[in-house]
Amino acid sequence: MNSRPTVSLVIGSGGVKCAAAIGLWSVLREAGVQVDSVVGCSGGSLYGAAIAQGWDPEKMRSLSESLWTGDVMQGYRENLKASKDGSLRFTERSGLVDDSVLNANLEKIYGDLTFERLDVPLTLVATDLHNGEKVLLREGLVREAIRASIAIPVIFPPLEIDGGLLTDGGASDPLPVDVAIQDAADVIIAMGFTLSYRTRFRSITAVQEQMTSIYTNNILNATYAFHNLAHHAEIFPVIPELDEQVSMFDVDKIPRVIEAGEAAARAQLPHIQRALAG
Amino acid sequence: MQITNQKMNAVVVVSPSGSIDATTAPELGAHIDDLVSHDDVKLVADFASVDYTSSAGLRVLLGAAKQTRAQGGDLRLSSVAPDVMKVLSLSGFTSILKIFDDTDSAVASFA
Repeated sequence: MNSRPTVSLVIGSGGVKCAAAIGLWSVLREAGVQVDSVVGCSGGSLYGAAIAQGWDPEKMRSLSESLWTGDVMQGYRENLKASKDGSLRFTERSGLVDDSVLNANLEKIYGDLTFERLDVPLTLVATDLHNGEKVLLREGLVREAIRASIAIPVIFPPLEIDGGLLTDGGASDPLPVDVAIQDAADVIIAMGFTLSYRTRFRSITAVQEQMTSIYTNNILNATYAFHNLAHHAEIFPVIPELDEQVSMFDVDKIPRVIEAGEAAARAQLPHIQRALAG
Repeated sequence: MQITNQKMNAVVVVSPSGSIDATTAPELGAHIDDLVSHDDVKLVADFASVDYTSSAGLRVLLGAAKQTRAQGGDLRLSSVAPDVMKVLSLSGFTSILKIFDDTDSAVASFA
């Protein structure tokens, strides 16, 4: 019989900001906090999978560098232009980015790792593009589930898995605390991110991006409020504070993001430890 | 956790101190239950000495707000520290509870 409280770690959506999970993971490891299950959404799925596989923080740092290579956004400008002049026919399966580099990078990082082979149970969250429902991914290739979970609408093409056309998990559940509640975790450590707002708008896509940020932040607050009251035990929100704007692909800011994640985790650690001590 | 009461006209100012989490929240809940059972339903929770509140603490606050409002009163908060305010804001509590900068203003709001 397991007498200690069970711990679930939830890493929400937030693009490059999700690298803050490296700072959180390093604090939890140092403190000897055992994690019994991991949930990841969108950018958080990249790091959630690494944590579930037991990677150390250093290896996770190299993950960020290997994934967000300079050519990962290949085709974006050309396809954006072509979509405007009508020469690119855009469908629900399209994305402005040619995702071959992203897919190759994911394969390089996660290889043929499957959910079944992970050290700790992992759930990744995506969204069904056709009906808006949240889809929980718990089997098969980890890299495919990540690819579906990070498929930012319009930017990356969605991915078909088991007949569903899956896109960014952040569209349905940006901080999927409810998955950990369903799994009956006693203590939930939830790292969430609000998306930064723009101050300058020079294109239609800038306005669209701003609206996506507004929608996502409001979904985050509404769902967190509900889940917070629905849970039977403790949820510890770990919200990194950044004194500068970090947009979706600001890869050069990753070191400062990791530091912010570590600081936020250290602030919550005494409270987490108290809950674990019962 | 230490909890003190101060009655100011028809309002009771409840001042907990320290952290409100799964281990201490039941004590605060019982304290408020006791006040409500004695028809003290206009409550100000003075959070000046509260350095942390977890989801368990938030559930107690919501329960207290429901109980007092059902009897024509309210639970209002005052002097909330920035870190605690962040949790209240993220959890939507700043939308459903009345929060004041200081206890005097919170007490006066019942007039």
